[in-house]
Amino acid sequence: MVPISLSKIFDEFPERRYIMFGGKGGLGKTTFSAATAYYLAKQGKRVLVFSVDPQASLSDIFKKDIFGKGPTEIMPNLYAQEIDADRRVKEYQQEIRKKILDMYGMEKIPDEIESYIQAAAAEPAMEESAIFDEVVDIVVHGGYDYYIYDLVPLGHALYYLSMASVYDEWIDKITNLRQQMREYDQVAAVMKRDKEIDEDAILNELLYIKERINKSSGILTDKEKTAFFFVLTPEEMIINDTLKAAELFAKFDVPLSGYIINRVLPPELKSQQIPEYLKNRLAMQDKYLKVIDEVFKGQILASVPEMERDVTGLGMIEKLADKMFY
Amino acid sequence: MSEEKKKKGGFFGAVKEFVYGVAAHDSARFALKSRASMEHLFILITMGDMLGVPILPPYYSLRLLPYVVPQISTWKRRMLKEKDLTDGLA
Repeated sequence: MVPISLSKIFDEFPERRYIMFGGKGGLGKTTFSAATAYYLAKQGKRVLVFSVDPQASLSDIFKKDIFGKGPTEIMPNLYAQEIDADRRVKEYQQEIRKKILDMYGMEKIPDEIESYIQAAAAEPAMEESAIFDEVVDIVVHGGYDYYIYDLVPLGHALYYLSMASVYDEWIDKITNLRQQMREYDQVAAVMKRDKEIDEDAILNELLYIKERINKSSGILTDKEKTAFFFVLTPEEMIINDTLKAAELFAKFDVPLSGYIINRVLPPELKSQQIPEYLKNRLAMQDKYLKVIDEVFKGQILASVPEMERDVTGLGMIEKLADKMFY
Repeated sequence: MSEEKKKKGGFFGAVKEFVYGVAAHDSARFALKSRASMEHLFILITMGDMLGVPILPPYYSLRLLPYVVPQISTWKRRMLKEKDLTDGLA
């Protein structure tokens, strides 16, 4: 099996600036994100790799605490960022409180409203939405040649996508309702010969929310600018799950660019004196590598060996990047 | 924005009020009432999680909260009285 070269893909499609790695948890998405960022930075591209996961591990892989510190330089051209969702939610709550106090000249937020603000922040979806929202800021702000998303495990990524399409329809619906309400206002105003009614601030907020959600889901599904890679390992369950996930992603119009196999045991081991256990592992691996070859024909971009130790620190990242891009 | 013009014309003003009262008052009242119902429906579908019905992602519903603060208490009262609000959604 000869994989198509991953570096060739990057050369061929320079306009694909949003790079994402998807796959089940623990298969090496963060590792590949870091290695790809390293490779591109070495090529002289300005790269930002950022985490969309509330349990991010970029700090661990770069051996540098970057949590909540904004884009942090790791080496020339390579920046990494971990979003502090908790802080963003707190700041946002404060913003809302201030707005209410200013709008109504109140001294204190009414209890009923305050408890709503607090309850809303405790929702589990809150953190994810906050990160989702910040990603829009990061991308709109610009300044980098490449944006590498260190994605959440599959389930969450799908949740983001389905959330985006559901919200979109839903917001259309309430925006319509709001517009109808405005028409009634106008009818009443004309009959009573009242002054012109004010602009509908709520309608404007809704349109803003719609634009934000569209922007972030638009990036995930942009066929020209986005490349989505699946990470898998030569194991039966992983192959099956990857197939299922790929189908779902295709349904949401995510542009799949190809698959990368991780944790491949070096075949040269076979010619050495190795214990039975390892022999069995190698035999199993051969079997599933064949399956992968058949199932994902022509879409395998790289096959990355199991490393001798875990990948943390720039030295190991470089080693892995050399194996990924050749 | 225009200031209060009502007191401007004496006789014509009175005629205008009269004509409005006879012809348009009811329709205007109806329009306002429909508007109020829709307002409540709107709050329900954006702030529904206050009643335990989460609909809008809370991150974004918070953005709308400041605008509906005055309506929230009347809305809760109304929700307990009326049952046919969802008709307006279709």
